[in-house]
Amino acid sequence: MSDEYENKTGYQAQSSETISSGSGGGSRTASDIDYVRPAEVTDQDLYHGHSFITKWVFCQDAKVIGVQYFLLATFTGVIGLILSWLMRLQLGFPGAAGFMTAEHYYQFVTMHGMIMVVYFLTALFLGGFGNYLIPLMVGARDMVFPYLNMVSFWSFFVAVGVLLASFFVPGGPTGAGWTLYPPQTILEGTPGSGWGILLMCISLILFVAGFTMGGLNYLITVLQARTRGMTLMRMPLTVWGIFTATVLAMLAFPALLVGALMMTLDNVLGTSFFMPTIIQAGEILEYSGGSPILFQHLFWFFGHPEVYIVALPAFGIVSDLISVHSRKNIFGYRMMVWAIVGIGGLSFFVWAHHMYVSGMNPWFGFFFATTTLIIAIPTAMKVYNWIITLWRGNIRLNVVMLWCLGFIVTFVNGGITGIFLGNVSVDVPLSDTYFVVAHFHMVMGIAPLMVIMGAVYHWFPLVAGRFLNETLGKWHFWLTFLGAYSIYFPMHYLGFIGVPRRYFEMYDSPYMTSAVGMNEFISMAAFIVGAAQFILIFNIIKTLKTGKPAGSNPWKANSLEWLTPSVPPEHGNWGDKLPVVHRWPYDFNVPGAKEDFITQTTPPSDVVGTEVEKT
Amino acid sequence: MSDPKIDGLELKPGFKGMADDTGSDQTMFKGVHWGKAMMWIFLLSDTFIFSCFLISYMKGRGSTLVDWPNASEVFGLHVFGVEVPLLLIAIMTFVLITSSGTMALAVKYGYEKNRKMCGWLILATAIGGLIFVGMQAFEWSKLISEGVRPWENPFGAKQFGSFFFMITGFHGTHVSIGVIFLFIYAYKTFAGHYDDRKRGWFTSMKGDYVEIEILGLYWHFVDLVWVFIFAFFYLW
Amino acid sequence: MSETKEKEQSTTHKIGIYLWIWGLLFVLSFFSYMVDWYQFQGMLRWSLILVFMFAKAGLIMAFFMHLYWERYALVNVLLWPMTAIACFIFLMVAEFEYTVFTRLFYFVVGG
Ligand code: HEM
Ligand SMILES: [Cu+2]
Repeated sequence: MSDEYENKTGYQAQSSETISSGSGGGSRTASDIDYVRPAEVTDQDLYHGHSFITKWVFCQDAKVIGVQYFLLATFTGVIGLILSWLMRLQLGFPGAAGFMTAEHYYQFVTMHGMIMVVYFLTALFLGGFGNYLIPLMVGARDMVFPYLNMVSFWSFFVAVGVLLASFFVPGGPTGAGWTLYPPQTILEGTPGSGWGILLMCISLILFVAGFTMGGLNYLITVLQARTRGMTLMRMPLTVWGIFTATVLAMLAFPALLVGALMMTLDNVLGTSFFMPTIIQAGEILEYSGGSPILFQHLFWFFGHPEVYIVALPAFGIVSDLISVHSRKNIFGYRMMVWAIVGIGGLSFFVWAHHMYVSGMNPWFGFFFATTTLIIAIPTAMKVYNWIITLWRGNIRLNVVMLWCLGFIVTFVNGGITGIFLGNVSVDVPLSDTYFVVAHFHMVMGIAPLMVIMGAVYHWFPLVAGRFLNETLGKWHFWLTFLGAYSIYFPMHYLGFIGVPRRYFEMYDSPYMTSAVGMNEFISMAAFIVGAAQFILIFNIIKTLKTGKPAGSNPWKANSLEWLTPSVPPEHGNWGDKLPVVHRWPYDFNVPGAKEDFITQTTPPSDVVGTEVEKT
Repeated sequence: MSDPKIDGLELKPGFKGMADDTGSDQTMFKGVHWGKAMMWIFLLSDTFIFSCFLISYMKGRGSTLVDWPNASEVFGLHVFGVEVPLLLIAIMTFVLITSSGTMALAVKYGYEKNRKMCGWLILATAIGGLIFVGMQAFEWSKLISEGVRPWENPFGAKQFGSFFFMITGFHGTHVSIGVIFLFIYAYKTFAGHYDDRKRGWFTSMKGDYVEIEILGLYWHFVDLVWVFIFAFFYLW
Repeated sequence: MSETKEKEQSTTHKIGIYLWIWGLLFVLSFFSYMVDWYQFQGMLRWSLILVFMFAKAGLIMAFFMHLYWERYALVNVLLWPMTAIACFIFLMVAEFEYTVFTRLFYFVVGG
């Protein structure tokens, strides 16, 4: 924004740049310089819980809801992890998991995939971090509709309950793969084709309904409830990432909802939306004329944005962590914002790159390969910006930073294989092999997971008021990072030699014998990585009571969440006065400043003579 | 509604105004109540749901090789010995548009703090909605008696029945939810909850006439969806 | 829930405009019904249906839902996402044509 523009509209605090450069300064008093427009809306009217139930269970405080989301998502995540152990046990040492049949394997693959993507990562990033951080970071007292927010969590709770219930119904959970493609989803040969898939669809519909309530909260809080002086371009990238991801969720989940509903009708009422004329066990079924590929389109119209629902919050959070822990402003803030928004927008135009081998209209390959490769541009810009932010920064090589570096490495790795798979002619031989498994685990499994871990180590002092133990943290990081690489890097090779995805065992195919040793190795690594995650849980339990007290703003960060009057913040966040924002959250190591950071609430008159960034 | 006045801020119209609003602090939609912004975003999401339904319908209808029934005959009514095509649907459309009009007026009178008028208009809207749902029930039972089911259809392609029941059912659910809320709001208006700023039953937030506009948005949206269903399902 | 500080200036619109739009909606609905009544076919039918549909939708959104009076920030946020839907529609048209093609093709040639 140009100088002239600011003066004309008078929207913002005068930037301190104007003062230091002396233009029109001099005679102005501090209160002139620090002027921020008065509040547009009256202070939020909050419901304060009185009993245990209204304070901790059916609670309307976004911070408590965030923690609730976090805990429940982690719980489902652990279930997903245990399922992956069982699968790896079977793959590495066939027959070692005694009870495991091929049917079980399918069911575990499906539940693992769905749990990890939807019930773990999505819920954790948007429900967990979104709820906790958005109101704090934009300077609001709470989410704008606290009641709805509470209902959102409890819908999620019921959705998880229904999902887990499917383990105990006749036939067990669905085994159709997390993509749930019909017609096989509801044919008898597929495990869980009756109850399993029904509960899966119901659970997804509940999740979407609950998420919509939460998502409306996140969006309106960011759009309409920022504090004085907080412009969109002064928001931490964390908020940008979560915000854009929520927009994607609000527009992508409808396709999943519709797909799940139509599938339920096919399953229960015998409609033929997705079911063509088909023979099951020698018998012609009642179905006719449906379009299986329609489901694939609906699913991926949801599914691809879903990938970015997981990735964008990770991008945002990691930007903030890197900036704080290398004591440098984030390189190219505006570019980062536009890249997030651009990736978000484009993600609605690339979905059929998951369907190159589905038998769709062959011309689509041109369109979707092009759009897919275009997305690589803003993504690469972001990676460069993270690296340039680190370059010559005052890097603190603590656990948080380690996770960030781990993220960059795994993300670049997964991103590059993504370029392979975006091209039709390369994808055709590679699709449905372990190459794909390696790719998506790197890019949307491990990379966002690294960010989550970094974020936990970063914000734990805020939530609990104490630091997590660094030594345990380093063990956790190195085991996870090296272990995850040992799991997924060899998988690329497995893919090249043609090991197919979603297979219970290799059977006697001679060209795959070379995969046996590798599979054993991968499985060993998977056990270690999985076990390493319990170090974190142990660390949390241990430091909750005995950890080093953090005090306020232990990382010397600038953004508002660290500037609350009490740590951990209380209901209402800000005591009796809302903060007033004068700058962006990345003023680190500003030439001329007394300290190496200038918080967002520091008024310009306090930093006269420094070269702060103009925002 | 309309351009609000904001302290310390000159609101410009048009795209310049849009750039200013987006670049400003606190709010992006200047003067828009939180609840109203929420309803808009929700409707956007809901639009995607209905779009997905209609797109699926298009794909399903386009790719079946069995003939699609002629809607104009299937939905015709036999009155006084003549076959009138789409009669019932025409009346339903008429009713829904009428109720949309009364809703729009209710919002207007709400903002003018005309409690009585506002309440009666909401009640009229609710009754319009009720009639609509009733006629839809009649239409469903007529089709069912003729042998159309979600899973089969004597007049042609199976998908006709499937899509018909699913899409009108989903729309009808929206209407029914709307009707319930209309009755509740009519009560609240007559009881003066919006004048006294009485707190809501669940959310315990203060009442305000803006809530009527919010409900109005939802109701008009239901009407809007019907416009599309009418065009694509009955006329096409 | 918050209220805007400056009370809504009570800038409600004249009743006439609502009545006008109401009337127009009836007329347009009547016209689209006539499309069926006179059994227009082919391109004429489809284009008329679409024209009346969009006209009605536009009127409802613009006046009953007040979008015409809202600031552009809101209007744009609501309308841009529709490009994704437009793309979806466009591609699904191509897709169903291809599905029909393959179905007919394999009926003739055999699987
Ligand atoms: C310790 C960590 C993990 C291990 C050892 C692991 C292991 C596996 C294995 C063995 C499969 C089945 C491959 C096949 O047979 O086709 C699989 C599938 C999958 N995993 Fe993971 N996984 C891990 C973490 C994650 C995470 C964090 C995500 C979140 C995105 C994730 C998402 C998926 C998905 C979407 C599938 C595909 C399911 C399907 O084919 O339907 N995984 N994983
Ligand atoms: Cu994708």
